[in-house]
This record gives sequence, C-alpha cells and structure tokens, in this order.
Amino acid sequence: MLTADEVAKVVSEVTGRIIERMSARAQRAGDLGAGADAPSLAELINETLWWELDRLKKADSDDEEARADKAFYASIRRELPRVSEAEQARLLERVVHRYANEIAGNFNPTFYKVATRVAPPMLSALLTGLSPRRLMGGQAIPSLDKHVIVEGDIANLARLREHGTLVVTPTHSSNLDSLILGFAIYHLGLPPLTYGAGLNLFRNPIIGKSMYNLGAYTVDRRKRDPLYKQTLKEYATVSLEFGQDNLFFPGGTRSRSGGVEDQLKKGLLGCSLAAYRNKLVHRRDRPKCFVVPCTISYPLVLEASTLIEDWLAEAGKSRYIIVDDEFSRWERWLDFLRGLFSLDLKIHLRFGKALDPFGNVVDGEGVSYDPKGRPIDPRGYLEVDGEVVADPVRDAEYTRALEGRIVDEFFRENLVHPTTVLAFACFELLYRNRRPRDLYRFLGSIGPEQSLAMPEVEDELDALLAELAELARADRLRLSPEVAAGDTRELIRAALRSFGTYHSRPVVQRKGVRLHIGDANLMFYYRNRLDGYGLRGAASLVHASNRGGLRG
Amino acid sequence: MAEHTTATTRVSVLGAGNWGTTVAHLIGQNGIPVTLWGRNEESCAEINEQRRNSRYLKGLELSEHITATTELAKAVEEAELLFLVIPSQAFRSVCADLGDLVRPNQLAVHATKGLELGTGRRMTEIIRAETCLRQIGVLSGPNIAREMCAGKPAGTVVASRFPRVIEVSREVLKSHQLRVYGNTDVVGVELGGTLKNIIAIAAGMATQMELGENAKSLLITRGLSEIARLGVALGADPMTFSGLAGIGDLMVTCASPLSRNHRVGAALARGMSLKEAVDSLGMVAEGVKAAKIAEQLTGELGLRAPLMHAVYRVLYDGLTPAEGLRELMTGAVQEDIDPSLTRAAATKKR
Repeated sequence: MLTADEVAKVVSEVTGRIIERMSARAQRAGDLGAGADAPSLAELINETLWWELDRLKKADSDDEEARADKAFYASIRRELPRVSEAEQARLLERVVHRYANEIAGNFNPTFYKVATRVAPPMLSALLTGLSPRRLMGGQAIPSLDKHVIVEGDIANLARLREHGTLVVTPTHSSNLDSLILGFAIYHLGLPPLTYGAGLNLFRNPIIGKSMYNLGAYTVDRRKRDPLYKQTLKEYATVSLEFGQDNLFFPGGTRSRSGGVEDQLKKGLLGCSLAAYRNKLVHRRDRPKCFVVPCTISYPLVLEASTLIEDWLAEAGKSRYIIVDDEFSRWERWLDFLRGLFSLDLKIHLRFGKALDPFGNVVDGEGVSYDPKGRPIDPRGYLEVDGEVVADPVRDAEYTRALEGRIVDEFFRENLVHPTTVLAFACFELLYRNRRPRDLYRFLGSIGPEQSLAMPEVEDELDALLAELAELARADRLRLSPEVAAGDTRELIRAALRSFGTYHSRPVVQRKGVRLHIGDANLMFYYRNRLDGYGLRGAASLVHASNRGGLRG
Repeated sequence: MAEHTTATTRVSVLGAGNWGTTVAHLIGQNGIPVTLWGRNEESCAEINEQRRNSRYLKGLELSEHITATTELAKAVEEAELLFLVIPSQAFRSVCADLGDLVRPNQLAVHATKGLELGTGRRMTEIIRAETCLRQIGVLSGPNIAREMCAGKPAGTVVASRFPRVIEVSREVLKSHQLRVYGNTDVVGVELGGTLKNIIAIAAGMATQMELGENAKSLLITRGLSEIARLGVALGADPMTFSGLAGIGDLMVTCASPLSRNHRVGAALARGMSLKEAVDSLGMVAEGVKAAKIAEQLTGELGLRAPLMHAVYRVLYDGLTPAEGLRELMTGAVQEDIDPSLTRAAATKKR
C-alpha cells in the first residue's frame, strides 16, 4: 500500500499531468485559431464552474462540504476575469489539485496498518453475525473461509505481482463485494488493493469509518464535470504506475438486473493500458499491468430488492447512487448473515485468466500469449517505427478488446447457485406459456396466487440441468456443488430453503404439490444471472444479445 | 510524390492471384518496393524474370518494383504492412502459418471478399483468431482488376478501427488513378464486398436472359436492401451500404460482364450445371460460397432475403433461373425502404 508520502506524490503528479495536458491542448487550439475544437483554459474553468455550481445548487445548504465548495468556486469565479493567461493555469491547477486531494481522501497509513491486521477478523465477525462484544469476550472467531470459497486461477496471482501491477476486475452484485475481495486478498497473502468507492459508502453507518483505512479512495458520482472524471482516471493510472495494485469494478455500479455485466466502463479499464504505456515511455521497472477478472457469486444478494426495483423503474437507466438501501441497515445485514450462516450457504469468488491490457492471456511469469498460445511481446502494439507512442483512438480499440475478454471471463467464471436455477426454471415456465409482449406488465401480473405444479417444474429443471451440465463441460459456466450434483429434488429443496430465509417474502415457496411465486421481481432478479446463455432457447431479456449459439 | 512520403514503408502482398497481383502492381507503380508472395514457383519466377503473371493478368507488364517469392517468412519478416489477398476458403490455413511469423507491431489489411464456409466468420475475425495481429482492416470497393491495371480511374475503401491502418494503406495505394476512402465500419465493408457477389450471380442470369434494364435496377436495389438487412443484423452500420463498398461495389459487379460471379450466373442461365459453370471460369467465384453462407445466416437470424434465397436454390437445389424469376416476381411485396434499416440508421452510434 502506498505510504502517505507516496499518496501526496500521486496527487501532485496527477495535478501536474492534467494541467500539462490541458495547457498543451489549449495552446494547440490557440495556434490553430478559430475552428479548433479544444477549449481554452478559461473555457475549461468556466465549464467546471458550470457543472459544480449546478451540482451545489441542489446540495443541502447545511452540508459543510457543500458550503466549503461553494466558497471555493465563488473565489475562482471572482478571480477568473481578472487574471492573465498564465494565472489561468494556476487557477485550473487549484481546481484539479482540490479534486485530486479529495479523491485521495484523508488516508492515514498508521490506521491502515492497524486496519489490515484487525479488519479481516472484524469482517469475519460481521459476516458470521457475531457482535464485536462477543468477539472481544474471547470467543473463537468463526472462520470466514467456510462461507467464502476462493477458487480459480489463484496460484498465478502472487507470481504475477513480481512481474507487474495487478488490476482486479470483479463482477459487482453487492457492496459486500469489496469486503469479500479484501478478505480473499488478505487470505491469499497478497498486499491489499486500492479501489475507488462511491462517496455514499464512506457515509455508510456500518462500514463508512473504515473505508479509508481499507485502502479506498473516493469517487463522488454526483460530480459530472468531465475534468473531475479525468482526474479520477489519472489518479487510478498514476497509482498503478506507482506499483499499487488496484481493484476496479468495471461494470461501474452494482448490476441492477442481477445479470452478469456485459457492458463495461472503458474509461476506467483503459487506465491499465495508459499505465503500461507511460511506464514503457519512461523506461520504468516492472512496466506491465495485469488485469484479473473475477466473479463473486451469491446464493442470495443483500441488496437484491432495491437493485431490481431500480432496474424496473428506470429500465436500465440506473439511478447510479442508491444511498439508503439494505447495505446501510444493520438489521438487514444481520438477517442476511444469519441466513448465510445458519443455512451454511457459500459465496464463491472465482479468479479467471489474467490478461494484459490488450486482452491477451498472460501466464504466471507475466508473458502474453496470442490466441493460439504463442508467446508475444505486447509492447509492439504501441510502437510506431520502434518507438512507443500515444494514440487515443488506437488505445480505445485495444480497451474494447480487453472489455470483450473480461466479459467472456465473467460469463465463464459465473457460478450458478440453486436459487438462480430454480428462479430461471419458474420464470421460464411462466414466460413461455404466456409469451408476454411487455415484461413489466408480465411481472406485475404475477401475484402470490400464481403457482406452478411440482412435476412441471421438475421436468423443466431436468432439461435445464442437462443444458447447464453441458455448458459447464464446455468450460462456459461454473456450477455450485449442489447444482453440479444434478439431483433435481435436492436442488429444489436447497433453493426453497435459501429463498425462505432472508427476503421479506419467500421468492418461491412450496404449498402442497405446487410452487407459489412470492416475489416476481426477485424471481426475475435471480433468474437474470443465467440470462444471455441462450438456455432453454430463451431470448436475452437484460443483455444486448445472447452470447451462446452459433455466433457467440 | 508518393515515393517521397512512403519511402520507408515496407509492404508485402500475400497471394499472387488476379487481385493480389493487381494490388502489388498498383503499389509498385507508386515507386514503392513490394514483396509478392505466392505458392506457385513458376508464377513467381515469371513475375521476377518477365514481369508478367500470364495465368491471371494476360498481356499486362507488371511493375518492376515487385519482388515475388514463395517463402512466406521472407515476405512477412520485413513488412510493416501486409495485404492478405487469399481466397476465403484458404484464408484460415494461410493465417495459421502467418501466426508463427507476425509481430504485434505489424499492420494487416485483407482484400478477400468472402466469408468462411461452415463458421460464417469474416476474414478479420479469422486474422484475430489465428494470429497476434490487432491493427487490421479490409480493402474493398468497386475494383475490377483489369480496369485498374489498365490505369483507369477508380475509388476504393480501407476500413479499420485503427486510423493508422487507414493512413498507411492510403499512403501506399493512392495515386492519380486511385482514390482511397476510409471507413471505421469493418463489419459493413466486409459484408458489403461479400454479399454483393450473390446478387451479381443473379445479375448474370438476368443479363443472359435479356430481362432488360428495369429488371437489373430492380435486382440491384432489392439486392442492396437484403445485403443491408443482413449486414445490420450482424452489426454493420447501414450507412456503409450506401458507400463505395456497398452500392458502389454492387453496381459494378452487376453491370460488368467481366466479373466472375456475373459470368457464373450467365453460364447457369445458359443451362450449364454449377460445376460446369465454375470449371469454365477457372477462378474462384466467391458468390457461389457466399450464397450458401447467407442462406444459413438468414435462416438463423430469421431474416427475409428472397433474392439471395432464390440464388441459393438455383445453385444448390436444381431450380432453373426461369423458375427462380417467376417465384421472385410473385412473392409478397414489402415496404420499399425496410423500416428496420431506418431504425438502425437512426440509432447506430459507433
């Protein structure tokens, strides 16, 4: 983890780079005269003022930070018309520096050292539903490894670190993800990851206080200013260049639909390529960056209800920031953890194949391979006449390829629990019979009186399990042990137990010889984890298209 | 002029057939040294010693800047830019060999108008699957080799997601007789060049059957509509089909009795079997295979493509061209402009 000194260096490096880039761009535009598309420095500052003042207008006037921001921008606005061009650069520097500082947060390395030692048992306690008081009372701490199963290409991770910097890119279902990953990384004996966490997490009553100390930096999603987003990307890039391993959630936000992410944030992903390129240009040691996709698969998801409601409300145009969800309520955590613990449910964290920033597979020594397994030197992708050069359009294209490969790994390493399988089967039966034109109305029409005959569900499950087994054999999907066992009745029992434990209404419930749908939205949510595979001939409902089939 | 700006670019053309030799000749005529790889030793010797490729381009004196070789490694090693001009059904095996030789910093542009039989893969997909090459593109457009060799004016398209691929290709190809346009829609340009071959077979039949100019125009426009519909379903930008690699290529193929696919169609309409028609040509007619692949793709995607379907049935189901025509003229009539294309044109972003 970076020391406080290094963090300060990162902040000043980030500021310096952005000012340099903006000044150069403004200079070039000035030389070209009218018709150039790059803004002048004054225009840039005005743009920031516009975005920030617009945001602050909506902010709570009692909020201390908002007041400080207002005062800061008021002073910038006062000074702007009076200063020379050189001084405009100074003003812009103040803005960027302020952004960068806020992103870095008040990181304290002393706290951090304590946190790394104490946090995992604390997490363990949290995740197993023990109160800290009992923990202090000398009780044995139940081991988290019983509930979080870490699998996949683990052996390579430690070796890869010797050859470059890691960017771990997980699927994102729950705010628990970063805690679970932090735990896994600690247990694997790897140094901690830094990651950008939404400001709302820092204000979370349960874990907010420990966020900085867990290595997080801040992402304020309310700030829409493009300059802020640039600062954020530069912060991630520079921290990678300093050799700090990063955690990116490439989906950008928790999956609202419950489906595996197939559209990733390319701006953030591109940081791995930018860091590699910058280190090559400056001839630094260990220039390589390795992107490690991973999946976190839950039998039940803490925030499932809020997330799927948001998806249905906005049809994918997510609100992006959800402040008051299950994640900020103690009783929901406890219910969730109690359910997890008492039913002995497992959360699976799977590491996929490590990739270079171009999407090529790398081995444990950090060597990249072409699609047919021949070793290659990826530096060539950035060369013109033997020199490494910057080319944003080219690099965006490489990042698109990386995105595609991460999504492949997401789908391949996605692990399916009985809950998902049962939800998929029930949904499929209802959906297929009715062939609805409107998904929303269809979901709204399914009440608790809606039921399916047990034999019908069993037949559907038999067929579904056969297809799942085939996908798993083809290395295109992972099955939990309960699903892999292939015992339909046992699977139904396991799924019903889980569905009955945490959610306020059982998602699916057995009454006599029929299964009743208690919560159609949640059935849809859990079903979506299998969307996009073309299972049972189903069309894709939450992804752009099916990834299975002939052309997948 | 061209010599000055591209003095350092080392170019190789892989494939010494009709079009490959022409591409090498066009580059050579700009004063740029170009290596031409072919499998046939005699052809290569003939090119090097007599400046001729008598099998494909009778009577043409080739540029002296061409060096022909049968050694793939030699052609690939030094090249910064590779042109791949290999028949679609041999494309993968050449790429598999190429995989051992190429490096990430090399650029590659293919000029093969076809899809892989069985998989329906586009040529750029095959390059990606078999090699480490990433900075790749496609050359396509209304380019009849004979006319180009005769020095007549023409335009062509290089499509790539990588601006540098377009720039470097343009530098070596452009001349007072050839305008080189850029496009970022690789999928559309590849499909335009491939699918028009099917329509060209139909045009050959129509010409032979003396159906007249109205019918030809009907064929071209409805054919373009089918191409665009299938293209959009496979991820192409609909606007690409109104460009050189779309309507441009389709027009020339349908108008010119010189084009191979046209000649296959005409031979079929004269009553030859498919095998006789292909044999009489002595070269690959890509449309014959493309028809099979398009039949499969439209079936899978549930798309309407009556014209392509009729060509397929004439080629493979023993339907006579006259029967095919009758079916087409009595089939259901839809909108002139397909609503799916209007929608796609409005929403297409990248």
